[in-house]
Amino acid sequence: FPGLADVSIPQDIPVEGEITVPVGSHSPDEDYSTLDEPVKDTIMRDLKAVGKKFVHVMYPRKSSALLRDWDLWGPLVLCVSLALMLQGGSADSKDDGGPQFAEVFVIIWFGAVVITLNSKLLGGTISFFQSLCVLGYCVLPLTVAMLVCRLVLLAGMGTISFIIRLIVVGAMFAWSTLASTAFLADSQPPNRKALVVYPIFLFYFVISWMILTFTPQ
Amino acid sequence: RHPLATFFHLFFRVSAIVTYLFCDWFSNSFVACFVTILLLLSFDFWSVKNVTGRLLVGLHWRNQIDEDGKSHWMFEAKRVPTIAASTEAEARIFWLGLIICPVIWTMFFFSTLFSLKLKWLALVIAGISLQTANLYGYIHCKLGGQKTISRVTSRLCGTADVPKRQSRRISEDGTEEHGKTGTR
Repeated sequence: FPGLADVSIPQDIPVEGEITVPVGSHSPDEDYSTLDEPVKDTIMRDLKAVGKKFVHVMYPRKSSALLRDWDLWGPLVLCVSLALMLQGGSADSKDDGGPQFAEVFVIIWFGAVVITLNSKLLGGTISFFQSLCVLGYCVLPLTVAMLVCRLVLLAGMGTISFIIRLIVVGAMFAWSTLASTAFLADSQPPNRKALVVYPIFLFYFVISWMILTFTPQ
Repeated sequence: RHPLATFFHLFFRVSAIVTYLFCDWFSNSFVACFVTILLLLSFDFWSVKNVTGRLLVGLHWRNQIDEDGKSHWMFEAKRVPTIAASTEAEARIFWLGLIICPVIWTMFFFSTLFSLKLKWLALVIAGISLQTANLYGYIHCKLGGQKTISRVTSRLCGTADVPKRQSRRISEDGTEEHGKTGTR
């Protein structure tokens, strides 16, 4: 067909091709874009995610779905409550437990960051915030231990109370370490697992030590 | 159009700064002030990241982990067809609030450092990181959005032109065929 030789359309067709090319790697029109969600949906979604993670820590099983949806609300809440429980609890004054509160905070967050850096340097596949998320959430058993210790200390401070506290803190420490190891160790090559686990062990050990040696004034 | 969102955008940030400056008036307890400011900063971070950015300027950034465990940072920008006067004002408030507060927290950082009130340092550092994270995320969205807007305009030009050319093609084919039949 001689007429077709004059048609220059094919050069313009690539413009249609661009229509399907999204920005970056995702078109905002796809189903799971979050640009147009109502606010309540966002809040409920985040709250449910936090709740699910707490449940996962109590019954640790390896689940990659948990790791995908990281958030730092849980660690924040746990850190604040643990730090609140660990300070003197004396009357309000300018110098009350100030440094102790900030100390606990810094130990937990700085410790978690160092462990994460360690695992990344050892070639871990998990991302920075995921690791922080897991370590933070696994402080939950130790927070429960702190609560129990405070209740036991209300009853008395003798040898029996110490033994009870020792057992509770020891059990919760083991639970925390096992829970976080279940999530984190698998992202490492097999011969590096011990290298990743021992800082986690140290981290929870330091927190458990702070809990065990806590004495109210 | 979104007065509530605008209010909350500024409310948490400004309350955090005010509480930090006047914490001695509110309470004698360091811990209460620390926790209050930290909670205000966290709520501010969450609301600016998830709510006010979307509603006021149509931008959103987030992190997504895919099945392989790789993390992707996504920066989404709404294609804005209309620029109303109220939207302009809201956008201006949004960006001013977003930029000024990290600057103020940085000033607090230096004042805390030099006056050696080191127990507040952790809080100030937390404040700077949270607010700077939002600022960085939104600037990234905005700059990425510039590319979106230019692509959108070329797409619009493209779609506007194609029907014309198509119709031209049809008419050309028609005339050609006409011509063909004519010559035939």
